Amino acid sequence: MRRLVIFLAGVALLAAGCGGSSTSSSPKNLVIAVDVPVTGSPYIAQTIRQGVELATSNLNGGGGVRVGKQSYMLRVKPYDNHLSARQAVEDTRRALDAGAVTIVTDGTGVDATWQLARQKGVSISITYDGGSGLVDAEKRPNVFRIAPTNHGIAFRYAEYLIPKKLKVGLLSDDSAYGREGASDVAKAFSENPESVALKLTLPAGQPDLSAQILRARRSGATALLVWGQPPTIAAVLSAARSIGWQVPVYTPPTGADPFIRQQLADHPKWVDGLTFASGRLTAEVGTGPFTNFQSQYEAAYGPDPVGVKTSNGQKVVQPPEFGMYSYDFIHVLVAAITHAGSVEPAKVTSALNQVTAQGANGDARGFNEHNHDGVVDDDIYFARFHDMTYQPVQDDPLSATLPPIAQTR
Amino acid sequence: MRRALAAAALAAAAAPAAALADTQQVLLPGPTPYPTPSPPLATVTPPVGATLTFRIHASSDQRVTAGVDAAGRLVRIRALQNLHLTGTGDYLIVVPAPVLDVQAGPGSQSQPGQRRGQILWAGFAAKRKLLSADALLRPGPVAPFLPLRLRAARDGDRYTLTLANATEVTQVAFQGTASKPELVSLLDQTRRQSLAHERLSPVYVTIAGLVSQRPQKARIVAPLLVSGELRFPQAPTSAAGGVVDGRSVRFSFVLGDEQPLTRRLEVTGGGGEPRVRVEVTPTAVVRGLRPPGGGASWRSSRLPADALLRRLIDTRMELVRSDQYQGFLANPDSLGLNSTSYVYETASARRAAPVTTSSSGESSGTLVVLLAIGGAIVAAAVGLVAWAHS
Repeated sequence: MRRLVIFLAGVALLAAGCGGSSTSSSPKNLVIAVDVPVTGSPYIAQTIRQGVELATSNLNGGGGVRVGKQSYMLRVKPYDNHLSARQAVEDTRRALDAGAVTIVTDGTGVDATWQLARQKGVSISITYDGGSGLVDAEKRPNVFRIAPTNHGIAFRYAEYLIPKKLKVGLLSDDSAYGREGASDVAKAFSENPESVALKLTLPAGQPDLSAQILRARRSGATALLVWGQPPTIAAVLSAARSIGWQVPVYTPPTGADPFIRQQLADHPKWVDGLTFASGRLTAEVGTGPFTNFQSQYEAAYGPDPVGVKTSNGQKVVQPPEFGMYSYDFIHVLVAAITHAGSVEPAKVTSALNQVTAQGANGDARGFNEHNHDGVVDDDIYFARFHDMTYQPVQDDPLSATLPPIAQTR
Repeated sequence: MRRALAAAALAAAAAPAAALADTQQVLLPGPTPYPTPSPPLATVTPPVGATLTFRIHASSDQRVTAGVDAAGRLVRIRALQNLHLTGTGDYLIVVPAPVLDVQAGPGSQSQPGQRRGQILWAGFAAKRKLLSADALLRPGPVAPFLPLRLRAARDGDRYTLTLANATEVTQVAFQGTASKPELVSLLDQTRRQSLAHERLSPVYVTIAGLVSQRPQKARIVAPLLVSGELRFPQAPTSAAGGVVDGRSVRFSFVLGDEQPLTRRLEVTGGGGEPRVRVEVTPTAVVRGLRPPGGGASWRSSRLPADALLRRLIDTRMELVRSDQYQGFLANPDSLGLNSTSYVYETASARRAAPVTTSSSGESSGTLVVLLAIGGAIVAAAVGLVAWAHS
């Protein structure tokens, strides 16, 4: 009798294993981990998390993700990596224990976490850090990124600045971000050494860079490309403008960080002319998709205030660029789940190579077997500040096609 | 596509309005549609948005290199596609191909992406941009769409290589009563475009009375310009179909265009297997459009109008077929110009694993997995039953 019961249980198990037509009425949960530096870089952490939450909220509102006859509700599980690789490893372990299908991160600690995630077939998506070594489709097949790459920015700058016949001072701070950027910039300008006036490393976190800026001026530099953290860029602007040097200053996406405008709020003219490179906020289809995304974002979380005003007293807000990238990744992830017909992490990770989704700005977002970067280099544009807000420049073919985005409320 | 053509021809023949009309304008073949879906290679449906906007145009030049074994069977295939974009704007391009691997080709201004069955391009073009993809393809699915078949054999001291035009297709064609002066003019125009290697422009012919389907389908072949060299270990003693030049035998001819569709080279001596190199280019219709007597115009032709109409339709279909083989990989701009040259060459011995079917390793692998799973389930069930009854 006991054997018969076990036999019947075995048959039932086999039937369950074979059956593809069983239905499940109650939705299951699918965990998406978000590991960001809440206490290290709160603005970035917040916008990434909110982008993920907005996407999951929209998808859950439509009934969640359907795989066969089973629905899944997306649940966001936030972690704080404190900008610490060690903490990122701990967070990754916890996220994997929680059954996360993917981990969305700013990029902190990915060098140490990707292998842990890979063991479980789980993907990691970077939505901020553009470091060149972080993403490698061959060596790190589970790491993806939707954010402008340092490599792309550096080469776009070379393409933009070299024809201007400027003598560029290549400045970088000694943070990890600055060192990585300096390496990419050096490569990008390597075939045009005549365009480089000097290369100089700046101490990160040092508020007074007068000596370094004086040296740059004496080198004959007619432009500065500053690759560093926001405080470094603010310090460069302070040092240059306070001695009356109106040298054009170019930066990576950190140039748009609200911190710089906050620091220089008493000297808004010092910010004027600051040019940064980043991923474009609007695509060829116009402002409609991004404006729609921004409206949803602000309706859910309110605008991201920069903390400064324009000359006519309007409050300046920050467009949710990095929130857009994390929002886009969730849509690509859902396309991959649908393509895979499974929520098994390894299958979803593999399917990420095969799908495209429409991004919040109207651009197509996706990865492929050779490239796990979802922002192509061609989509990097340049924008210039005036009166505490920025607009795409007109002397670059791509940037000239882009309309400005409203940044005041 | 062929069904669509047949349906169109029948519809033209059966339409009451057409039948009753005194005369009607009937569209002649060209520049499209092509008589078969491939080439260009088709593996997937491109995703929504993966088309060029009106701001960007593309022309495509390609070099397809087919590696063959000693018997002439396809063992390896590589396609180098250069897409020349003009215009300013975004592009998202999907080129369907059974791709094993793809890298940027020489001079490419962007890196190609790869998905199952796709080569991907995405970015922004500012006036001009070159996208060059060097793709290794799966030979099985590609082999049926190559324009030339090679078959090599050795019998003692004699080596033979057979080269066959593989582009032949049958097509529905129409017939009717047209005026000779108009046909002469259309033949001259078609000839001019053919000799200038231009893509045909769409033209109509005026048919009086009924339009009907020809009783026999037309047999259509893309003319192929074939040239090549067989390089032997030692100087051959003789060669039929080619010219001995030291250790090499050289040859050049057209397959099609009122010339044989198959040629056979017979070489005696040579001291072993040759290294084969054959270059193939879809080419113009020359003989089929040459006016009688070698004149400059069809005006002097004594052929009756129905024979002129038949020739006009057939040669235009041949030019369409030739144009079809100019685009081995798809050009995202349907109006863009294409050119493709095909090179067949002896592949290194270690790669010589001939392809005889179009089934993919992927699908056979899937079958094995399914059989294994099925077998395991059956075995488990049998085991359970046996154990329960023991």
